Amino acid sequence: MRRLGVLLAIVVALVVAGPSAPDAQPTAGAQDKPRHGGVLNWYVYGDPGRLDIHLESPLSVQQSISGIYSSLLHRDPDDPNKITGDLAEGWTVSPDDKVYTFRLRKGVRWHDGQPFTSADVKATLDRVLNPATKSPRCGSMLKPIVASVEAIDPHTVQIALKFAAAPFLEYTASAWCRIAAKHVLEKFGDLSKPEAQIGTGPFKFKRYERGSVIEWEKNKSYFIPGLPYLDGVKQYVLVGFPTQLAAAKAGRIHMWDTGPLMRKTEADELKRARGDQVDVYQVTQNTIFVAFMHTQKPPFNNPDLRRAVHLALDRQELVAKALEGAGVPCAVLDPKLAGDFALPIEEVQKMPGCRQPKDQDIAEAKRLVEKHYPNGVDIEASVRSIGNYVDRAQLVVSQLRKIGIRGTIKTYESAAGFAVFGKGDFVFLPTQDRAMVTVDPGDLFSLLYTTDAGSNWGKWSDAKVDELTERGLKETSREKRKQIYHEMQRHLLSGSPSAIPVAWVEGFHFVDKRLRGYKWSPTIYDNNTMMKVWLAP
Amino acid sequence: MPDVPRRVADAPAAAAAAVGAPVVAKGVDRESMAGAEIDRRRGVAEWLWWFARRQPLGLAGAVIVLVLVVTAILAPALAPHGPKDAAFPQYVAPGTEFPMGTDHLGRDILSRIVWGARLSLYVGLASVLFGVTVGALWGVVTAHFGGASDTVSQRVVDSLMALPPIILALALMAALGQSVTNVIIALAILLTPTAARTIRSVALSIKEMPYVEAARAAGATEWRIIFRHVVPNTLATYIVLVTVNIAYAIVVEAGLSFLGLGAPPDEPSWGGMLTAGTQAMETAPWMIFFPGLAISLTVFGLNLLGDSIRDLTDPRLRGGLG
Repeated sequence: MRRLGVLLAIVVALVVAGPSAPDAQPTAGAQDKPRHGGVLNWYVYGDPGRLDIHLESPLSVQQSISGIYSSLLHRDPDDPNKITGDLAEGWTVSPDDKVYTFRLRKGVRWHDGQPFTSADVKATLDRVLNPATKSPRCGSMLKPIVASVEAIDPHTVQIALKFAAAPFLEYTASAWCRIAAKHVLEKFGDLSKPEAQIGTGPFKFKRYERGSVIEWEKNKSYFIPGLPYLDGVKQYVLVGFPTQLAAAKAGRIHMWDTGPLMRKTEADELKRARGDQVDVYQVTQNTIFVAFMHTQKPPFNNPDLRRAVHLALDRQELVAKALEGAGVPCAVLDPKLAGDFALPIEEVQKMPGCRQPKDQDIAEAKRLVEKHYPNGVDIEASVRSIGNYVDRAQLVVSQLRKIGIRGTIKTYESAAGFAVFGKGDFVFLPTQDRAMVTVDPGDLFSLLYTTDAGSNWGKWSDAKVDELTERGLKETSREKRKQIYHEMQRHLLSGSPSAIPVAWVEGFHFVDKRLRGYKWSPTIYDNNTMMKVWLAP
Repeated sequence: MPDVPRRVADAPAAAAAAVGAPVVAKGVDRESMAGAEIDRRRGVAEWLWWFARRQPLGLAGAVIVLVLVVTAILAPALAPHGPKDAAFPQYVAPGTEFPMGTDHLGRDILSRIVWGARLSLYVGLASVLFGVTVGALWGVVTAHFGGASDTVSQRVVDSLMALPPIILALALMAALGQSVTNVIIALAILLTPTAARTIRSVALSIKEMPYVEAARAAGATEWRIIFRHVVPNTLATYIVLVTVNIAYAIVVEAGLSFLGLGAPPDEPSWGGMLTAGTQAMETAPWMIFFPGLAISLTVFGLNLLGDSIRDLTDPRLRGGLG
């Protein structure tokens, strides 16, 4: 009886202590009363350069201005798994699910004092929907499904869809679909410059020193009374793991939630250095590690060469070494995030390119290269110098050397790399993480694989992918949608696309125990306005 | 054991003999030629013994440099694995299988150190030979002709020397792009003004020598005087500049690679290896220890050798180290 009591006590203690499982949420001090004041010290992994949320796609840009703007909808700061109104107080949907009417908050003002109205929402959405804007995130999601946007009155907006699209609300709540002021767009033409950062968010844009720091200050006229709690936020531009880790160990930053996240080595080192002053969590990031090949430039304009790379890449080794085991190799969709929309991982790991051992695939890859380049081929492998991208690139290049593809690594500063890659000025990108904007399984295909995808940097065009993506968006039956996405995944893994899915990335993030009210979001872009974050003494 | 002659005019000959270079100084006086002849007769072994006694630290430096050169030349045979071959487990501590351990990507550190010697020596030698040679010729020619061209060229040298070297190197690498060839070009540009200034000062005194005047009186053209009489007599200074600056070039290359602007990241550069090591200083300290040791030893050896050569060729400093 006594033994049973001890056992029960242990079980209760374990339950109370909580799991060290992935995606655990910070719990420290959850019962405390929020406190006003203090400045959050945060960091951004690379200099964002241009700040236009609608025209750019790196996380560094989104994060730099995340607290400045609001969206029509957003992820609930108290429960990021839910979507709730932000600038919209509520919305109604027509019986055929094709017309959404949003009621906007009244009395909201832009940071420069101008009133917020439905004209701003229309101007924003018209901008991202305009094909000339080439909006890689918000635009590439909304363009295929939105037919028109109408301002019914100053506080009502109506959005008509081309078809009933399941992920529409997810897309609208995306942190990339921030609402910009019509008068600011008219004045500046775009939102690239610091002086154009006029939003309705909890913080005002205060300062941007290139390569050094981005600073926000509290918006005292924020439309939610009592928020934000912080007086300001400072984001230091810290490039590379050693610098970021040094700042974390020295207690100079309050959290590491931005990509690339810490690997186990960094997490262990931080825990040793700061002990119980920090909480460290292993998390999924809804981010895929991709290798891109340009399909209109030699040698990868040849499908055989692309297939050879697909076969030769040892994803398991890349996850083991570059991600220190924190990742899901080979998967086009991550079963942990997409559930049964993802192909069963057992099936994926039996397919050519993913199966182990690699001998058979390496031999076939070598044959494909030798067929076109008997003496092998030299390529330039371009990579951004952030996180451990350069290490990953070295591993990829080392693997391709086995099949006669000899890569020379060329490094770029973060923003410069994005500009170059976006223009298609590369041959091979051995590594580039692409974070999903929503948790919808179709997001990946609209982002990377369709002809008009925002990150289709390799200019690949495949009629079957375009057709399946459109069918997936229109399909309302969950089971049929699942079948469509399974077919898509098999097609991508057995073909020669430009973007090779290497692995779904996981990592470690930490939160200083003084930091309260922060919740990890299912996508890395969301819930980083810091509106409900506060600092304990 | 007779001591070496301590005559000023012997400096070029002694320096040239010290590195086995042919003595081409036709203009030196008869006494210095006789001194060089004595040196040659001694034989290599005797000369080495003399050098070891006079410059024991220099000998230590020469041994280190010799090991570096042999390692660089025989890298393909000496390295147990390919330097870019990431086929092993990560963070293996030094042991019997991997004497210097493996790095964060599972590469054998010993193999990268061995191949790194080749890269360091190649970059060091190529950049210094290129930069110092161009600078030396620039200095000799402008010193010899003097006038407005000399004044203008010296202001250019002033401008280049006014820039902090590492900043200039970083700027050049940012402009040229990351490659081994561009590192050599950047380093050469860094070294040229110093060499030009130093050799110019030597050439200014040589051009006033009676044998130059005699050559001119005999009808020699200015270019013939430069290349037959002035250049050979700047050789000692040139050799010292080369020796001392190789160490400097290796350190700057390592610095550029450490900052991510030197050799491409997968090249086995010692500086690049140090950068990688900073990511795991606590878990894998061998990742910074061995490349750090390689850089330190190489620079130490080259500096010792350079100092000894300088001492041998400078009558005011002869014997200073020994």
